Amino acid sequence: MAENVQNQGPQTTGHVWDDTLQEYNNPLPAWWIYGFYATIVFAVVYWLIYPSWPIGKGFLPGVFGNITYTNAEGQNESWHWNTRAKLLRETQEAAVMQKPYFDKLASLPFDKISKDPELSSFVTSAGKPLFADNCAACHQSGGGGKIGSYPNLADDNWIYGGSYEKIQETITKGRHGYMPPFAEALDAGQIKALASYVLSLSGNHADAALAAQGKDLFHSNTAACFYCHGDDAKGRQDIGSANLTDKVWLWANVPGAADDAGKLAEVEKVITGGLSKGVMPTWEGRLNQEQIKLLTVYVHELGGGK
Amino acid sequence: MAASVPAAAEQYDYEIIKKFVVMAIVWAVVGMLVGVYIASELAWPFLNFDIPYITFGRFRPVHTGAVIFGFGGSALFATSYYVVQRTCQARLWGGGLVPFTFWGWQAIIVLAAISYVTGYSQGREYAEMEWPIDILIEIVWVCYMMIYIGTLMKRKQPHIYVANWFYLSFILATALLHTFNNLAVPVGLFTMKSYSLFSGVQDAMTQWWYGHNAVGFFLTAAFLGMMYYFVPKHAGRPVYSYRLSIVHFWALSFMYMWVGTHHLHWTALPDWASTLGATFSIMLLLPSWGGMINGIMTLSGAWDKLRTDYVMRFMIVALSFYGMSTFEGPLMSLKDVNALSHYTDWTVGHVHSGALGWVAMISFGSLYHMIPRLWNTKLFSDKLVGVHFWLATIGVLLYITAMWISGISQGLMWRAFDDFGNLQYSFVESVAAMHPFYAMRAIGGMFFLSGMCVMAYNAYRTIRQGVRAGVAGQTAAAAA
Repeated sequence: MAENVQNQGPQTTGHVWDDTLQEYNNPLPAWWIYGFYATIVFAVVYWLIYPSWPIGKGFLPGVFGNITYTNAEGQNESWHWNTRAKLLRETQEAAVMQKPYFDKLASLPFDKISKDPELSSFVTSAGKPLFADNCAACHQSGGGGKIGSYPNLADDNWIYGGSYEKIQETITKGRHGYMPPFAEALDAGQIKALASYVLSLSGNHADAALAAQGKDLFHSNTAACFYCHGDDAKGRQDIGSANLTDKVWLWANVPGAADDAGKLAEVEKVITGGLSKGVMPTWEGRLNQEQIKLLTVYVHELGGGK
Repeated sequence: MAASVPAAAEQYDYEIIKKFVVMAIVWAVVGMLVGVYIASELAWPFLNFDIPYITFGRFRPVHTGAVIFGFGGSALFATSYYVVQRTCQARLWGGGLVPFTFWGWQAIIVLAAISYVTGYSQGREYAEMEWPIDILIEIVWVCYMMIYIGTLMKRKQPHIYVANWFYLSFILATALLHTFNNLAVPVGLFTMKSYSLFSGVQDAMTQWWYGHNAVGFFLTAAFLGMMYYFVPKHAGRPVYSYRLSIVHFWALSFMYMWVGTHHLHWTALPDWASTLGATFSIMLLLPSWGGMINGIMTLSGAWDKLRTDYVMRFMIVALSFYGMSTFEGPLMSLKDVNALSHYTDWTVGHVHSGALGWVAMISFGSLYHMIPRLWNTKLFSDKLVGVHFWLATIGVLLYITAMWISGISQGLMWRAFDDFGNLQYSFVESVAAMHPFYAMRAIGGMFFLSGMCVMAYNAYRTIRQGVRAGVAGQTAAAAA
């Protein structure tokens, strides 16, 4: 077989390895060698177009010269052509387009912003990625929140207040909710009574006798629940204590509980262990004032802002 | 043939090759299984089960380590030891060093995997191993190099066969790359943690000089070495062009060393350096294709075999994927194409068209060629090789198609602005848009993995058959 090939086809190099391995001495395919030359020409052209070979302390500069643009502050910036400057130019061009809207946003009071149709659609368009990139990781896309972890921003219920000013303050400064644990101050029976009372406040089924006992405890100095949640148990927005009379639950997953015992256990867990994980970080310094103002309007529109 | 094989088994050290062959198959199954799992985690995140040890971040280097160094590495040790002995007509030099390369290398893969799962990583892609493991790699690798050169020096052939040049350049380059990329100062003698000797953009450049040459020399040059032996040997035809093999070998070796910076386009790396990386990538196209041409032209004239011989089909499909991904690579290295492709799944798809399509396929072909010869028997089932071939081919195609679509969509979504100058999409929207393609990719991986399991079964039955026939032969000889 190998000999036949040798006689008819091109010559081999004459070496044989491992009984049968041979090599033809075919020339380089013409298209291959010309293709290779073409890539070298391409490379040389590319070197002349873009910054390339280092020479001394500099480098071949390329043909593009400088990248010049006007930034959003109206200043001219100029860089020797480089990919980072290309990116800067593109982002600044976008910032220049955004600038008039942000300026208008900064100058108008909150209630005027949502009445301006053009500005409103800017808020919706810019707010969506801002919210998704900064807020949605906790509050979820759409702002629906997550029971047990993060408050719902798309409903009418506001822990720290739903006015523009309060929302702006929350985003700017952050929040830290705290409820002390009652495991040591109260015994298990008292905690059960309190939990029954809390459930009864929002119309959940609860043992009437226990709830009555809980009501007394709630207003007593032993448990002193009224001190933060108020005599009417409707909570205080100035300190972020929860309204216990509505059907909105953040920490105790009452809606998710299978039965009455499960609901009771959820509320008991919060009273026993207290809460200190209600932390919203501050966005001052991470977002600028206009972005925070824009997000304030966006979040206000998201739910029933007040 | 029947007479020459037992003779070959005595003349050459086949025991070490058999060990590496078995471990190549084991690591392929393990590595691809982990790959399918992490691909599934991306598609269905509940699979993390809130267990830190099995999250994507820790399992990903387990996957890459097991497939590149476990499967690929063991396949390269096996084939290089097979090729160097048979083309030099010389038994492996090195005595006890030879089994040490086996046990040392396997220990490295296991230790690396354990360290990743428990949270130890240098954070350097494909070089995540911390310093104690790096030192072990260095020692094993130097032994490997000594064995290889020692065997070449005692060859009974006047000329060194082309496959050996490729293997040798792979061994030498990997030694250099591994050493310089892992220069680091340990925090203490009894701690795993260390800090890189380089910092900032120099560190990134060293890492990608290593990273791309790991692709260039470990995953390309070495597997070309494999191709240069097993393709002509299996086809029974001479290599198409000796001249082409020389020219493309030197061009490839020279060009590859420059291209690492194309991983750092659009970063803090100065543009002149990234330009050079891009242009050398372009100039690398034809030298890379030299190997493909030589392989495919060697097969031409034996096309009839493709209809019946699935081992040969693995080889030709491997060469086709090699040609495709070495075309795609230079394209992606151009600054403006890279602006779209960088950080997207396109890169992941590109890597896998090379890794699954080229590296794995050419290894499958070579292993199927080698296993019956090592154990002096016939393949248990040619039909199962066909099943493996189709499962693997469908798997690769699903995988890379999914990643092309998702990668290009990501690139376009990330750069889209609306009429106000606002970004049109948030990052999380691009993640949500990827979901169907992540599922498709996981399914592609499952195809590839099931093909691999078919191969493992076929290899197991072939080896058992060979071992039993060997025992029977010895008993018969003893009785006579």
